[in-house]
Amino acid sequence: MTLKEFFKELNGNRVEGELIKTVFYSLLTSFVLLGIFYFFKLKYIGDFVPKYGLFLVFSALGYSLILLPIRQVRAYANLPCMSGMMVGMTTGTISGFLPGFFIASTNGMFIGGVFGMVIGIGIGIWTGKCCGIMGVMEGIMAGFMGGLMGAMSAFMLLNDNLKIATFVLFFISAVILIGLNYMVYKEMKNEERKLIEDHSLTIILTFILVIVTVLLMVFGPRSGVFG
Amino acid sequence: MKNTIYLFLILLIIFSMSGFVFVKGKTNGNLNVADLESGLIRGEAQKVVLSMVDYNYYPQEVKVKANEPVEITLDESVYGCLRSFTIRDLGISKILRTPEDKLTFTPEQPGTYTFACSMGMGYGKLIVE
Repeated sequence: MTLKEFFKELNGNRVEGELIKTVFYSLLTSFVLLGIFYFFKLKYIGDFVPKYGLFLVFSALGYSLILLPIRQVRAYANLPCMSGMMVGMTTGTISGFLPGFFIASTNGMFIGGVFGMVIGIGIGIWTGKCCGIMGVMEGIMAGFMGGLMGAMSAFMLLNDNLKIATFVLFFISAVILIGLNYMVYKEMKNEERKLIEDHSLTIILTFILVIVTVLLMVFGPRSGVFG
Repeated sequence: MKNTIYLFLILLIIFSMSGFVFVKGKTNGNLNVADLESGLIRGEAQKVVLSMVDYNYYPQEVKVKANEPVEITLDESVYGCLRSFTIRDLGISKILRTPEDKLTFTPEQPGTYTFACSMGMGYGKLIVE
């Protein structure tokens, strides 16, 4: 059974065996960065943890999962057209949705939507190009839609159970992204790995994403609802 | 290192971060709606009537005195989601379906609070002095 093989391969020698390490390095980078920021600057901001803590933690968790398909797809380089379109669509949507949702929760719909779209379209194109122009187009459309949708959902939940919704939406996104990893494994398990790389890209991407998120969330512009 | 160790470390990081947010994440100074409603009997309410101009509340800035009851109503010009009135920082949320419906509370701490409709489309400032 392929699913069983996939879970076995998470401990194997293929790229799937590096996915858990990718999550670890990404989380470690986020954790260290957030810790440094907190002790030198953020703890002096009034009500910092109640206002931003949950969303920053979930941003870090979200980025660690978004980086998984990037690593896996880069390792195989070229995917069949249908798989590539699914990769572009899924990564574009989720990598737009999650950052858009978290930023809109603290800054409002405009800044959340723009940030979500930039991240979603960027990662959608990057991963979707593994199958050519169709994957790229899927990535652009999905990033555009996911970014706006995430920001809009957060904004409409502001006076409702936003924090509970954060848990639920993150869990669903995590299942979708791990499902995508499984799909890529299933499609490519008989193919050779094309690219072998260390974890520096994971660390650099996490570094950039966490810094931009903190800057936007804490010091960025806000809509009028946030005073 | 084996992946199970990495998995253990991932869980450790997640629990540490979550624990930190959970312990430090309690808000201070937020008033409870139930406590606020009980403040109504203490004196005459400061009456605030809000209208709707350009798809937003009017006036957008309202000044009230602290520790005195405030009574907010929305006149007949207000419609749609703006009738669902909220002040998040005070924990207040109420649907004022008709101009006769009132929202009463007593702000205890001076400061500036944002009031908005439940979707955040219309908003303004309540300045408690």
